[in-house]
Amino acid sequence: MSSPAGPVPTLDRVSHRSLRRVGLVGAAAAASVGLSSCATDAPQDTWQPAGENAQMIHDLQWPIFAVAGVVGVIVLGFIAFIVVKYRDKGQPIPEQTHGKAWLEYMFIAIPAVILAAIAIPTVGVVMALAETDDTECTINVTGQQWWWEYDYEVGPDGTICGFAPSAGEASPIITSGQVVIPAGTKVLLRGTSRDVIHSYWIPKLNGKRDMVPGRVHYLRLSSETPGIYAGQCTEFCGLSHANMRMETIVLEPADFQTWLDNELEPYTSPDEGTLAKQGEATFIAQCARCHQVNGLVDDRGTDDPSDDTVVVSYPDQFVYSGAAPNLTNLMMRNTFAGATWDLLTPECRADVWEASPEEFGAAFLRGVSDDCLNEIDLREWLRNSPAKKPMYADAEMLAETDGKTRGMPYLALSEDQIDELIAYLLERK
Amino acid sequence: MFTTGSKLLLGATVASLVATLLYGILAGGLMGTIGLVSATAALGTLAGIVIFTRDANVAADDIDAFAGAAAATDRPGGGMWPLAIGLAAVTMTVGLVTYTAIFILGLILLIAGVAEWMLQAWAERASSDARHNAEVRGRLAYTAEMPAAAAIGLGIVIYAFSRVMLGLPSKTSTIVGFAVAASLVLAMGTLVGTNRKVSAPTLTGLFAIAGVVLISGGAVAGLNGEREIEIHKTTAYYAAKGECGAEEVSADEDASQTVAGKASQAAEVTLDDAGLTYVKPGDLVGRTDALQLPRSNANNVVFRNETAEPRRLLIELAPDLEGSPPRMCTQLVKEGGAALLTVNFAVPSFDPAVVDNGGYAFTVPGVDGARLEVVVP
Repeated sequence: MSSPAGPVPTLDRVSHRSLRRVGLVGAAAAASVGLSSCATDAPQDTWQPAGENAQMIHDLQWPIFAVAGVVGVIVLGFIAFIVVKYRDKGQPIPEQTHGKAWLEYMFIAIPAVILAAIAIPTVGVVMALAETDDTECTINVTGQQWWWEYDYEVGPDGTICGFAPSAGEASPIITSGQVVIPAGTKVLLRGTSRDVIHSYWIPKLNGKRDMVPGRVHYLRLSSETPGIYAGQCTEFCGLSHANMRMETIVLEPADFQTWLDNELEPYTSPDEGTLAKQGEATFIAQCARCHQVNGLVDDRGTDDPSDDTVVVSYPDQFVYSGAAPNLTNLMMRNTFAGATWDLLTPECRADVWEASPEEFGAAFLRGVSDDCLNEIDLREWLRNSPAKKPMYADAEMLAETDGKTRGMPYLALSEDQIDELIAYLLERK
Repeated sequence: MFTTGSKLLLGATVASLVATLLYGILAGGLMGTIGLVSATAALGTLAGIVIFTRDANVAADDIDAFAGAAAATDRPGGGMWPLAIGLAAVTMTVGLVTYTAIFILGLILLIAGVAEWMLQAWAERASSDARHNAEVRGRLAYTAEMPAAAAIGLGIVIYAFSRVMLGLPSKTSTIVGFAVAASLVLAMGTLVGTNRKVSAPTLTGLFAIAGVVLISGGAVAGLNGEREIEIHKTTAYYAAKGECGAEEVSADEDASQTVAGKASQAAEVTLDDAGLTYVKPGDLVGRTDALQLPRSNANNVVFRNETAEPRRLLIELAPDLEGSPPRMCTQLVKEGGAALLTVNFAVPSFDPAVVDNGGYAFTVPGVDGARLEVVVP
């Protein structure tokens, strides 16, 4: 006699139904993970190399990935086969054996052969990535909490990366957040750190390289394709590790020349009576003790040139790392605060990021104009930077660093001062 | 009702009570009255205990009472831990008014004393066999006592020996003293190892004599103080005094001609007959243009001397800048040798103070024209 609610579900039926549900959920999860790997708009995708060094890694990793996939499928398939074929059906326990020499030899030999086959090209690639003899341009990169500084050296021939300035003599260039390199040039980053261990990684251009205080490390970068390539610090380095980003800008040689000439242009003070001029004074009073603007002169409110004083920053007295970003040509960069926020509005940012390689140089070299400035984030940053980016900037909690901040402190700027500073910074390009 | 032993105490209690009443009524001194009241209370308490325990007198035919009497059970073992705890309390008190280290020492002694006392009390209740109880205690206690005793003993030996060595009048005498001590230890070891007839008391005696000699020697030497030991001055000391010249100073004596930081050098500066040149890692040929070094970071610069005369590398830094030395230099480097100079530039080379000082440059004292400009952007 059956129950009024129908037949009572047996254990087999329940388990089959549960298995089906679990299988469906698992398949959906696997499909989402699989589909997410097909994203094309993935600025830090290691499977989309854009330079010869990343290409070498890519050429090494995909066959290894394929071999690992095949091995995984074979092993999982074999396990599934054994589980199904020899499941408990009430049969007697089969004869137990201990040890099968030829099988054990195979278990040793097959992985050994696979590992040897992987090791040979891996060593070759590792050695190729460590080459420095073919360097055409050396750029120093220094990590600190939580941004990257780049300085371009003047070579013995008076050029920077082989490019002589169109006018005048070359002098060192210091920038931050974004490193600009000429397309088709073998660049060697010579890196270190000022405080803790950081790690430099632009996935589309090369692998990772730790930057250790007191040591010098090297990383090759190059790309034939103009564009903007994103990366981020990959060694946990403190509170704002996740906000320590960087970008590599690759420009056609002619565009790089334009960028170089612009960087080497002498400082131009804002016109008298403008908001930017007031911003210059505010910058000197509030920002210049840490941030350097090359060529900035304090006229001390007089017209007498003999009163002029070169403004020199002393970040080592206020910041634990001893450095703060050089803001000489801030508006020629797309980002600020460790490349975490855009200086461009979303529309203008898209014009740069989505530009074709042929149009990229012109789009990038426009810099940040008045109508393209992302004033919201910049204003929030100036208003209270520790509230926007987590930093150790509370003076009452800085006993272990002798009162020196890690990152930018709260400056208690008024809205008028912020207006002045934005007007001043907008002219820094 | 009243046992023999209690009668004496009861009498004394009554006498004390009477004396208290008389003194309190007739003399009326506060301190005396309190003392007599205390004596009366103490005597009364003791009398009560003696009555309660019936003078601890067990009848010979009362087997159960005899077996359970205090006299029939093992007396608890003697222990030094109460003494140690008392000493710890005194040490902590002294530490409170003198040094924190003494207080901490007393605290450690207190914790150890309490733990040991508790452990001993626990072990003595393990069974009625004292030997077994001692084994029980030892199994647990020795795991901590032996390493601690070894560490303390070794510490005393090492400290006393070091005092003796530092107290000897010269470096030569320390060598002789060390050699004599080592020879004695070796001779003793050999004697004991080859002669199996040396008895345990003889060995114990020898060790005791050696220990006493060592500790007393260490105490005497410690009280006399260390001999005068010359502190070797570094190049930083001479640099601060402006003595980074071509002449040899004490910091150059036995100077290392090898380099520790060569794996992470910012630049390698070489002096040869043509002057100063440099290479940075990755450079294939020597350069004479301005050497660019980063600011606010440690720059390891290796100096190599390829000339016949011993030379040093010197750099003048920003004068009068707090936290930064005015100049730095290497030790004198012999021909073919190398030395490391770690320089941290606090200000850029365009700082007016640096510009007025002639800018950053590596120079070699005694070699005219050996100058390498340094740019710190």
